[in-house]
Amino acid sequence: MPPHPARRSAALAALTAGASVFLAACSKDVPNSTLTPHTDLGRDIDALFDILLWGGVIVFTLVAVGLLYVVFRFRHRPGDPEPKQIHGSTVLEITWTLIPALVLAFIAVPTVRTIFATQQPPPADALQVEVIGHQWWWEFRYPQSNVVTANELFLPTNRTVHFTLRTADVIHSFWIPQLGSKRDLITNRTNHIVLTTDSTPTMAWNGFCAEYCGSSHANMRFRVFTVPPDAFDEWLAHQAAGPVFSAPGMPAPVDTTMTTPPEVTQDPALPRAFALVDTFARLPHIRPSTPLPDMPFAATAGDATRGAELYRASPCIACHTVQGVSPGIIGPSLTHVGSRTTIGAGLYPNDFEHLSRWIKNAMALKAMNYPQGQGMPPMGAGLPNAMAQYDDQQIADLTAYLLSLK
Amino acid sequence: MATTVAAPPYATAYETKRGGLWDWLTTVDHKKIGQLYLYTAIFWFFVGGLEAGLIRWQLRQPNAGFISADLYNQLFTMHGTTMIFLAIMPLSAAFFNYLIPLQIGARDVAFPRLNAFSYWVFLAGGLFMNFSWLVGAAPDGGWFGYVPLTTRAYLPGPNIDYWLLGLQILGISSLAAAFNFATTIINMRAPGMHFMRMPIFTWASFITQFLLILAFPIITVALTFLQFDRFFGTNFYTADAGADPLLWQHLFWLFGHPEVYILILPAFGLVSEVLPTFSRKPLFGYPVMVYSIILIAFLGFGVWAHHMFAVGMGPIADSVFGVTTMLIAIPTGVKIFNWLGTLWGGSLRFTTAMLFAVGLVGLFTIGGISGIMHSSPPADLQQTDSYFIVSHFHYVLFGGSMMGIFAGVYYYFPKITGRLMSESLGKWHFWLTFVGMNLTFFPMHYAGLTGMARRTFTYDANQGWDVENMTATIGYFVLAVAMTIFLVNLLRSRSKGQRVGNDPWGAPTIEWTLPSPVPEYNFETLPTVTSRYPLWDRQHSGHAEVPGAPETESHTEHEDIVDVAEEHRGLPGEPPLPTAAELGIHLPSPTIKPLLAALALTLPFIGLMMNKNLILMIGGGAAFVLVMYSWLLTPIEPEHHPPAPVGGGDKPMADSPFWTAR
Repeated sequence: MPPHPARRSAALAALTAGASVFLAACSKDVPNSTLTPHTDLGRDIDALFDILLWGGVIVFTLVAVGLLYVVFRFRHRPGDPEPKQIHGSTVLEITWTLIPALVLAFIAVPTVRTIFATQQPPPADALQVEVIGHQWWWEFRYPQSNVVTANELFLPTNRTVHFTLRTADVIHSFWIPQLGSKRDLITNRTNHIVLTTDSTPTMAWNGFCAEYCGSSHANMRFRVFTVPPDAFDEWLAHQAAGPVFSAPGMPAPVDTTMTTPPEVTQDPALPRAFALVDTFARLPHIRPSTPLPDMPFAATAGDATRGAELYRASPCIACHTVQGVSPGIIGPSLTHVGSRTTIGAGLYPNDFEHLSRWIKNAMALKAMNYPQGQGMPPMGAGLPNAMAQYDDQQIADLTAYLLSLK
Repeated sequence: MATTVAAPPYATAYETKRGGLWDWLTTVDHKKIGQLYLYTAIFWFFVGGLEAGLIRWQLRQPNAGFISADLYNQLFTMHGTTMIFLAIMPLSAAFFNYLIPLQIGARDVAFPRLNAFSYWVFLAGGLFMNFSWLVGAAPDGGWFGYVPLTTRAYLPGPNIDYWLLGLQILGISSLAAAFNFATTIINMRAPGMHFMRMPIFTWASFITQFLLILAFPIITVALTFLQFDRFFGTNFYTADAGADPLLWQHLFWLFGHPEVYILILPAFGLVSEVLPTFSRKPLFGYPVMVYSIILIAFLGFGVWAHHMFAVGMGPIADSVFGVTTMLIAIPTGVKIFNWLGTLWGGSLRFTTAMLFAVGLVGLFTIGGISGIMHSSPPADLQQTDSYFIVSHFHYVLFGGSMMGIFAGVYYYFPKITGRLMSESLGKWHFWLTFVGMNLTFFPMHYAGLTGMARRTFTYDANQGWDVENMTATIGYFVLAVAMTIFLVNLLRSRSKGQRVGNDPWGAPTIEWTLPSPVPEYNFETLPTVTSRYPLWDRQHSGHAEVPGAPETESHTEHEDIVDVAEEHRGLPGEPPLPTAAELGIHLPSPTIKPLLAALALTLPFIGLMMNKNLILMIGGGAAFVLVMYSWLLTPIEPEHHPPAPVGGGDKPMADSPFWTAR
């Protein structure tokens, strides 16, 4: 059969289209790329991946060129003599058994070396971070400083970090593509990741749950902010203290350990890391764009003082911690919730509009098919399964209070 | 080798009715059962494809609100489960059924009634699992169902119950079939059909049966633990009771990795039949091809934990499982090179079957290479559970298994129906599949490497994944068009396809000596096999100097078809073939009992779903025992005849030792 010109040009067009898609994909902004790592661990893996990628590309090119050559060269033409009936060739077959074996040796040696290099025990002075997976949010603890926070992870630059990974329920997987490998959080087990962050840049990264964990697996995201060590220390000290809440009628906690960095433009009581994070929060890949479901909401602003009083008597306190106010530990700690950039595990921006709807009816904002009813129940009056009967103004007051918990 | 057979001196009392629903329900003919498998599996393939379509439509853009998280989770779970257990495995089983007896020169499989039972149990399992859609509770734990998510504490609904009991039912089907085919190949080969003369598809099938026999008990154990946890309150996987969830993962993947080879080896076998025929050259390095199948299967049991590098098994286990996984690339690479060696120097005729076979060689290579990339544990830690993996296994299962199966369908369709599938529609099918498959799955590599986790029902904007996902969704629609063309071609060609003779492709193996379609008794006279490619030997020693010699047939619509001229027999309107009775060949009687046994076997599972209904559970079990008892008392033939004195080394089936014990 002679080659069909139309068919061949169709194949060429398809190849060209495929290649241009690939090139377009390569040239655009990829904020979560595993190919531009920013830790020693990530770079070790990437170096290994480069060997695998180029090895793979070379092998595939050889096979594809061979295949295409054969397909065009040995195409049947009328009058062809009968092909020579070759049954095999021991020499050739031994050759193409040994060559892949040799290629694999080139992969296996650096692989084993990297396995052992990346699973060394952490140094004694490493920053300890405990990661606890929950359906469907992340709890982060800094045991050396007695800090508990949620969904937003602060790391100092140029520091070895030892993550201890556990889960409160099902299996999750902790993955920050730009900072290194993923590890599973396994029920009744403890896992570890040790990595050293780069000295630069100061940046914001996305993290994800990578192991399917039920309804909102896709909505189990987190943010990671790498900040300079001094800013990190300020942030840590601030988190260890109670919430800064200076609304009228409430005693503001006085934190004498904190100094005010000169370049901070916002509330001088807040650490410098907050200013950095404010900038990060506006980055397109950090600010969530999940559409907010339609929900009638009558109030446009709330009063933090009234909200604080409401909070003390609300059902919220059974599940959430606000240091010095409420002891609950089922949900994320709210001690410094006003200082976070997102709510709902990276799902929505943390502002009045989103947080108020969240309090009114979180179930409508995030898939939460909890078997045992331990999800965030609706708080709005008249909603099905509501745990409280707050009207929109009361919810606005609660929102104002929570947003003030910097 | 065909000898004239005198009409028998007696007539059998029983004659099989042709066609009709009852005939299909009671058949024990491996060829009919093969077709039942084929059409049922194609149905499930389209169901799984529709599920994929809903998934792709949801993911076409960020933050799409097309379907809910819970529905999405059901869709991806059922897409994977359906494609693996209800589409690709039974498509392979269709070829096992249809081809193994024909390729080894046997009248049927060793246990024809058990064969029918396997099919009916498979059908029951598929319907059982998919019934969950009708009650709005489809399985939602992922196809590998990790505990403790799939325990009652976290997914209390009936969804996971449908999944695990459905898989148990399907496991019974797979095991019964596997023992049947292994026995058939060991014992029922025609005279002269030494192991090293067996067609390569039969070799691939033979090894696959051992994979099934060794792998399925493992998942049966894992599922039984889960079943007891969910229904009877045991604590194999109960997290609160201190269970280690890695028990499930090790058991599951100890099954799950050999399962990968269960899915791909039959496709390799089909391609190894197609490439030599259309190259008009023997398979390059037949012994090495056989050894590489065996080696792949053997090594396949020693690599399971490469699915688990992220669980933190420690550097020693990571190294061992990483290196054993790399070792599998050696026999797999040898297969690719030997296929190229088969093509090299040939006279290649690009029929649709050949296009799909060559497509497999190219596309599976991509899947194999990305597989090597995550055989390296540190690299895998960035790739596992991301879209890179999704891309990898679709290149292996779509670019590998499905391309091989399509090659097999186009290649063997004339043997099954006596008619060709349309080559022009076939070429549209191939090229659209080839383009659509790469559009869909290639960008996923990049989405995965740039941080997109798999099994996510939504993703945020500005993450750099929009182009890849839109491209994949467009690719899905190209694939959907391709598959629609395939379906039209398949159904239309059954009655409209061009009529062909015994050997339309100029193929070398003994199934092509038989009339198309094959008569119910397969071989009038059981053949004596003298080589791997007996038909080519005949042509080489005889008057036709070129196998096939297609150019002499250029007046036909299909220039690649070499056998269109001879008298056709066997289809309606054509002179009939001699019946088994006329030839004095004893065939097992049709019986409804395998179907009844399959139904009875399903009852206890239905009872378990219906709030542990004791009447159904005990009654179903008792019914199963009764049906089996009655089955065993049913004679294989309606009345006894002495073995017919027919010539040419024929051996009536009733003489086989396997006709007495089943």
